[in-house]
Amino acid sequence: MMRKYLGPVALNLFAWTTIIAVAFPLFWMLVTSVKPQSELFRRPPTMLPESWTLEHYWHLLTQTNFLVYFRNSVMLSTVTTLLVVTVATLGAYSLVRFRYRGRESLAFLVLFTYLLPSVVLIIPLYLMLVSLGLSNTLFSLVIAYTTFALPYALWLMRSFMAGVPDDLEYAAMVDGASRMGAFVDVILPQLLPGIISTALFTFILSWNEYLYALVLVNSDGARPLTTGVMNMLISSFNIEWSLLMAASVMMSVPLIIVFAFLQSYLTRGFGAGAVKG
Amino acid sequence: MAAPLHSSLERRYARLGLLLIAPTVLIFCAVIVYPLVSAIYLSLFRVFTPTLESSWVGLSNYRELLASGLFWKALWNTLVWTAGTLTLQIVLGIGMALVLHQNIWFRSLARSLILFPYFISTVVAVLVWKWVFNDLYGILNHLLMQSGIISMPIDYLGSMPNAMISVILVGAWKYFPFVVIAVLARLQTIPEPLYEAARIDGAGPIARFFDVTLPQLRDVLVVIVMLRAIWDFKEFDLIWLLTGGGPSSSTETLPIVVYRQAFALNQMGMAAAWAVSMMAILLVFMIVYIRRTREKGPA
Repeated sequence: MMRKYLGPVALNLFAWTTIIAVAFPLFWMLVTSVKPQSELFRRPPTMLPESWTLEHYWHLLTQTNFLVYFRNSVMLSTVTTLLVVTVATLGAYSLVRFRYRGRESLAFLVLFTYLLPSVVLIIPLYLMLVSLGLSNTLFSLVIAYTTFALPYALWLMRSFMAGVPDDLEYAAMVDGASRMGAFVDVILPQLLPGIISTALFTFILSWNEYLYALVLVNSDGARPLTTGVMNMLISSFNIEWSLLMAASVMMSVPLIIVFAFLQSYLTRGFGAGAVKG
Repeated sequence: MAAPLHSSLERRYARLGLLLIAPTVLIFCAVIVYPLVSAIYLSLFRVFTPTLESSWVGLSNYRELLASGLFWKALWNTLVWTAGTLTLQIVLGIGMALVLHQNIWFRSLARSLILFPYFISTVVAVLVWKWVFNDLYGILNHLLMQSGIISMPIDYLGSMPNAMISVILVGAWKYFPFVVIAVLARLQTIPEPLYEAARIDGAGPIARFFDVTLPQLRDVLVVIVMLRAIWDFKEFDLIWLLTGGGPSSSTETLPIVVYRQAFALNQMGMAAAWAVSMMAILLVFMIVYIRRTREKGPA
């Protein structure tokens, strides 16, 4: 009787100890962000705050540029996602369902660029965007972000598109629909989970991007969260950890929302793109 | 009558196909192909970033680069980082996938918690770890000293080999969930009769892992290792934000040198030569990966 329960209990204890260890830095981020300044540097440190406060969040929202950065990040990621997902959906439809010369090489190019390091592209892109007079704008970042987001989204969409059965499209066309009509009426609804999944991945990639933002933008008006928050670390006289942790939590809010409501789409994207591909 | 009609429809479809791919091709040419070609072209010049004054120097950037010890040092650092963090990611990833495959309590919560580090911004990950690593008030030093493992606070990021180890550990923490999810998905498709058969043959859990699970995981592991090797090799954000390449360039990997050459030392041409050399090394991995993918066909 004992033995029957001992195995699973030991397994669970081991599993949850590891999981808690992995998640601990994130827990610590949350705890630090709600501790009052006086408690932050107490020795020994308190694992759970003795008194809770939202003063750091208040400070972050009212006395720093955080909201400007946040707005920039939202706009930047939204525009990039809309652009990239639209282009990639049409492109993937073409790559999977049409026959023409150069199709195979194009698919190869997509995969190649999906693996290409950003640091190779960043120097010419920087020169190009400066000479076009676009540096220090959100638009320059949208352009730069397509360099990694479009190959990624195309690769994902291609594999989702391959999963939609041919017959549906032909059936609609036999019923008199045009090719594009069949695409809109039959394929798009089938593809919707894939599109959502691709959009989420693109949004998260753009939201988290750092290098292009570091190089292409150096004014607060166009800075996204990643470089903006790092700037708060570098430019402050003494590092205010609780403020930075509050900023980190706020920066992760969109992600927490996705995790809470749309996680199955993330796992689906994993299966489709990165690994099977 | 039927044949020409058919082929004209086919031609119309081919044209529609080209029309649909046109935006992709245009964007690719403008933001990827053109910059890629001009990176190679730029590497043959000496460029001073602030004025963009440039002069043709041919291959001398490459000669200078290969002759300097800096390149080999940076390549070595990149390989140490990649090998170290990749090994940890794979080992931790497989281990955690096996655990999450079991029927543990609150499995979906456990999966979310494990997945989270992969999706948060590198900026967030670095800020959190810098706070955990903090030499005076960091929780890690406190916990280690309290449990008697160390007697003096450790300087995690400011001295060697600590800095490299810390970077490798944080990299493993950030990216091992990728391995977990990929392996977990594959684990769920291994047919149960294989385990039954092994059990009847008297194989214990460890033997079952090596004789059944591991061979079944082989294909997906090869893909994961190649993908992660490419991504780790070109990682910039994590290392740059954690150590900036320091202390005294001992965690300076190739991408970091490219960035410093271009935007701190203002040598765009030289930076391009570094970037192209780095890409040449990566190309080996990329071609192996692409070959494999094409053989297997798209997903």
